[in-house]
Amino acid sequence: MRLTKYLLPFMLVLMFSLLTGCTSNDHKKGETAPKQQTDEKMITIGWPLDVGPLNPHTYLPNQMTAQAMVYESLVEYNDDGTITPKLAESWDISENKTSYVFHLRKDVKYSDGTVFNADNVIRNFNAVLANRDMHSWMGMVNHIKDVVKVDDFTIRLQLDEPYYPVLNELAFVRPFRFLGDNGFPKGDTTQDSIKAPIGTGPWVLTDYKKDEYALFSRNENYWGEKPLVDKIKVKIIPDSESISLAFENEELDLIYGRGIISLDNYTYLKDSGKYKTATSEPLSTRALLFNTQSGPLAELKVRQAIQYAINKEQMVDSITHGTEKVANTLFWDAIPYANIDLAPILYNPKKAQQLLDEAGWTLQKGEKIRSKNGQPLTIDLIYIATDAIQKPMAELMQGELAKIGVQLNLEGADVMVGLQKLMDDQVDINFWRTNGPPTDPHSFANESATPNANGVYEAKLGLPNAKEIDNKIHQLLVGTDEKERVQLYTDILTMFHDQALFYPISYETNSVIYQPYMKDFAPRASEYDIPFAQMDKEK
Amino acid sequence: MSLLRKERANVKRLFSLTILLVIGLLGLFAPVLMPHDPLAVDISKKFLAPSWDYPFGTDHLGRCVFSRMLLAIRYSLGSALVIQIVAILLAILVGAFVALKRGIVDYLFIRICDILLAFPTLVLAFGLLGLLGPSLKNVLIALVFTQFIYYSRLIRGLFIGLNEKDFIQAARISGTSGIKLIIRHYIPNLLPPIVTIVVLDIGKVILEIAGFSFIGLGVQAPIPEWGMMVNEGKQYIRQHPELMLYPGLAIVLVVLLLNHLASSFKKLG
Repeated sequence: MRLTKYLLPFMLVLMFSLLTGCTSNDHKKGETAPKQQTDEKMITIGWPLDVGPLNPHTYLPNQMTAQAMVYESLVEYNDDGTITPKLAESWDISENKTSYVFHLRKDVKYSDGTVFNADNVIRNFNAVLANRDMHSWMGMVNHIKDVVKVDDFTIRLQLDEPYYPVLNELAFVRPFRFLGDNGFPKGDTTQDSIKAPIGTGPWVLTDYKKDEYALFSRNENYWGEKPLVDKIKVKIIPDSESISLAFENEELDLIYGRGIISLDNYTYLKDSGKYKTATSEPLSTRALLFNTQSGPLAELKVRQAIQYAINKEQMVDSITHGTEKVANTLFWDAIPYANIDLAPILYNPKKAQQLLDEAGWTLQKGEKIRSKNGQPLTIDLIYIATDAIQKPMAELMQGELAKIGVQLNLEGADVMVGLQKLMDDQVDINFWRTNGPPTDPHSFANESATPNANGVYEAKLGLPNAKEIDNKIHQLLVGTDEKERVQLYTDILTMFHDQALFYPISYETNSVIYQPYMKDFAPRASEYDIPFAQMDKEK
Repeated sequence: MSLLRKERANVKRLFSLTILLVIGLLGLFAPVLMPHDPLAVDISKKFLAPSWDYPFGTDHLGRCVFSRMLLAIRYSLGSALVIQIVAILLAILVGAFVALKRGIVDYLFIRICDILLAFPTLVLAFGLLGLLGPSLKNVLIALVFTQFIYYSRLIRGLFIGLNEKDFIQAARISGTSGIKLIIRHYIPNLLPPIVTIVVLDIGKVILEIAGFSFIGLGVQAPIPEWGMMVNEGKQYIRQHPELMLYPGLAIVLVVLLLNHLASSFKKLG
């Protein structure tokens, strides 16, 4: 009896001391890490997933952000939509737009010292093209006829028919990036594995422990501007809450990207005033996609009314805490071909009600929901159940639409479930997002004219000009005249806008939060390019 | 000594019962008691601190948390009660039938039960929800089904235990019919254990409903339910932990009281 009486306090004390032991240990680790940096500068970033095998020619589990550190492309896509030289210093496009000749840089060496030349480029192209099915989502892959060597530093890319977005697709982070000869496995089967991650990029993988960290050092053979710090450590922390905590404990120098930590944590850290923050230029667009195949949304006036009824500015501001910008058009101005004059639909609930009245959806006395021929005006919307932004937005829109007599039913579901239901004409509205640069807007156009792709093809079936849109999209993808292409894009985007097929909500951005001892840098509007080379710290 | 214990159990039971009754009444009269429309969104009033107007403050969409908590009683406690009552009634019907019939029916029934009971109830409910799709109605169906399997087997056992008792035999010999036998003789004798199990499991069911809503499979927006409110509050745990705290504490309180009540029943039994 006596013994048990003392047992509990004793155990408590024991456990407590053990726990404090743990924390002090952790603390020591945290302290020693910066000390090692006295001669070498290292920046530590938190990332939720392991960087993967760093294979330039394959997809998941490779992290695009890590692939982009080690491998480079022939051309570079910039935030303003322009394309500039990278590993190719210039290029010529033939009159009929089916032949692209690339002049490679002559001063490029791989991180292991081997030379980057035409033979190596062709070896990489062949390894990728051996798996056309795997990469067929990229339109160019279906059009490449041949890749030939012209001389030691010149290659020619031959297409079967004109396909204008070739340069945009070459700029993408995968699969057209280049692996050093010593990195190739037997038989060049890079789709299975590589021997070693050898690239031309500014960083080299020097240490790696799966699911714990990946350490990158500066590539001393790098041809371009040398990064300011010596090392980048990517610490793998799967839980977003833990990433915030690690950042607060100064175990991380920065958190970079979209959705790495929750908005609540982001706002908390930002509002604490202790850290620096920045957001990139817009990346992709968050929108609603209206299904016009059947139901009330087959009517243009109903689609427009919904757009007028929602106070978008207030919604985006309060739910995304300023990490996203209000969107009035489907694409941000810097997206190629998208900078066109379209009249924005601004918040105007009176106009919304008027439009519904005109369409015959009237409010009967004593009723809360409008009806037409006895049918109530109810609309279904599917949001991604786990999305922290879609759900409150959906609920807010539900409240706003109720005010004009429209009943919005919500259903939380998986991404693929929502898309499938839209394609099967079982839901009225879905949340939808663009792919973002560098594949927009051509990937958007391509998918919008393809059944079973991103849902736009099916959703627009009810539009009077659906056929015309499809024809124009086909013309612009194979057309060779730039002026004509500009006109076609303008036509298509204007038709989508006038038909109110999409309800653009906001432009998503990359947000970054970093320690005060780090020098300022600008985040990029790219899903994969983190500007590590421009980062530096004073400590 | 045992008298004292009984007395104590009685007091305990009364205490839990009173508070639960009050909570139940709050849920029942929620539409009258709610100071605001619990579904009315007004983003300009988001994250208001508690005040006379908004006793628990407002949530991320400017909705009155107090009103939502009141209405949620119906969906959390109310649904759990419905599930338990429906499940136990079905179980008594089926359990009594197989217990009295025995033979091949009973054998098959037991085998089916064994197979289904091999899965944890949550896994079984997950499977059903996956088939039916997420909604409150489907959560009710899934949980009634899982509870029913568990109870019908249990009740079959209880019935069989009574089969050989003298008073049942006596009733049988004097020609009492099946249904009368069940209502007059079996049920009154089995009531204490059945009530205990039903009450004890209400807490478990509330947790399961909350769990499903928390992961987005249960109640759909904008209907308030405690598990769902915890999920919504989770997004703002750093700056507004109270949004998660209110529904969380409500779940804890109700489940504790129910367990308390059930344990006092057990002691009485």
